[in-house]
Amino acid sequence: MLVQDVMRFPVVTVEPGVTLEEAYRLLLQKGIRHLPVVEEGRLVGIITDRDIRLATSRLNPKGACPECAPVAEVMTKEVVTAHPLDPVEEAARVMRERKIGSLPVLEDGALVGIVTGIDLLDALLKLTGVTEPSGRLEVRLPDRVGELARLTGFLAGRGINIHSLLSYPEDGDRVRAVVRVNTLETHLLAEGLRQEGFEVLWPPKKPW
Amino acid sequence: MVIYRDEYRLYDFGPHHPFSPVRLEMLVSLLKALGVWREPLAPGEATREDVLSVHSERLVKRVEAASRGERVPDLEHYGLATGDTPVFPGMDRAARILVGGTLEGARRILAGERRVLQLGGGLHHAQYDRASGFCVYNDLSVAIRHLTRAGLRVAYLDIDVHHGDGVQWIHYEEKEVLTLSLHESGRYLFPGTGHVHEIGRGEGLGRKLNLPLEPFTEDESYLEVFEALVPWALGAFRPDVLVVQAGADAHHQDPLADLLLTTRAYERIFRLILEYADAYTGGRVLITLGGGYSLDAAVRVWALLYHTVHGLPLPGALPEGWLRAWEARLGKPLTPTLHDPEAPYPEIPRRREIEKRNRLTLERLMELLRTHLIH
Repeated sequence: MLVQDVMRFPVVTVEPGVTLEEAYRLLLQKGIRHLPVVEEGRLVGIITDRDIRLATSRLNPKGACPECAPVAEVMTKEVVTAHPLDPVEEAARVMRERKIGSLPVLEDGALVGIVTGIDLLDALLKLTGVTEPSGRLEVRLPDRVGELARLTGFLAGRGINIHSLLSYPEDGDRVRAVVRVNTLETHLLAEGLRQEGFEVLWPPKKPW
Repeated sequence: MVIYRDEYRLYDFGPHHPFSPVRLEMLVSLLKALGVWREPLAPGEATREDVLSVHSERLVKRVEAASRGERVPDLEHYGLATGDTPVFPGMDRAARILVGGTLEGARRILAGERRVLQLGGGLHHAQYDRASGFCVYNDLSVAIRHLTRAGLRVAYLDIDVHHGDGVQWIHYEEKEVLTLSLHESGRYLFPGTGHVHEIGRGEGLGRKLNLPLEPFTEDESYLEVFEALVPWALGAFRPDVLVVQAGADAHHQDPLADLLLTTRAYERIFRLILEYADAYTGGRVLITLGGGYSLDAAVRVWALLYHTVHGLPLPGALPEGWLRAWEARLGKPLTPTLHDPEAPYPEIPRRREIEKRNRLTLERLMELLRTHLIH
């Protein structure tokens, strides 16, 4: 999944000379939190609702005047951006590491979209397959060649379609696989998997 | 009144599929052996137009083509030809026969009948343009739409262990339909939906209720939240009729899910449903079957339902001859009494935590709805 699959466009932008009050109204009106600042088609900064609120708070001793101060005075000038062909996990990593809530998306210097934390949550939902009617299996696998293939091969052999498959490393030498499968029969699958020697964490055996 | 015809058993995905027509054959033969079987009303088939009242033309066309044995390349996009919902010759008609039964139930209610038990149907996973989870056409929604088109407000109660997603989504924006589903949490179990925050949209906001329960929930905890939620919701919504999907797969013997109800809880649930119908809908209630994949448990649960609906005294031991015949046919022993044995079940280590979490889920749901549930 790439940034271009989850980004929003067209992007709502402002010019650097727009006042903080006007920018804030625009954010409220559009129901958004991030405004890239564009001058002659070039991205020169970004401003968020939080930037404006902090800058204009009466608790701020150097508080800016909302009606007269321009966006340029408060905006972040070194904007971290993404490319449409970046993988979503890379966008997520940058946002997490830099502790920022959005990335304007640039292609050949032009602003073609914006991706926010919300869009990445949508991406996560899609990746986990919860949007399709499905059951969920959790299996712990040894972290070595062919184990995942053994698991998916088993499911294929039972004629089960996999909606999504996520795996992540656990402590030591094991991998946790979370599979969403298009069937009501996850219990019977779990039994079958146990008989094949898999460590199935969910669904567990019923106590009685 | 009971609605049933033998052709319900044409809805058959094959000998190894859990949604087996053997359940109905066993149930009817048990009721006959017990001497309580009364000649049911045999319904007609639902028409194509009836089905189109809740489903898309493109889904129906595909079901029809697959039923004729034609090769259709995109069946899987419509939830068909999957492991759960394979296609079989005559599937369209078989599904319409089941829909016809539930629809007939709705018609009877409109004609003044009060208690109607449809011994079939309950295909609650079928969606607007997608078959899903053993369900081709949604008989419940067709019946509900028939009732709302006649101007009635319908409360739909779903006690199947799986979330009643198809019915919920089909009526998600409708203000005259309350849907209320108690099910095992979709965190792991199919279909994965049915969270407390799915409460409807638009005019339907606050009229779709979900109570997802913890795996290994037992009788006491289930009944506690059931008795707190259902009358509260019915009292607020004030429906004209109650439609119930009485799946039997929350029973502890069920092979597909993890709730641990016994037949004693089911008896109480069925009595409460009839009581609630008397209190909130003038006694008008239409009950269908649904999931239930342990033959032994499902048949006993539905026999209980049949007796309760008719106000019959419950039998203790099941008829010897019936037991022997079915044990021979199935090649395994059956529970010899209508109720589960009294034998103490071992305590589940997480019991207290499960009870607490179910209570918390109920609180969350009621909190969420206090501002939305429209009287």
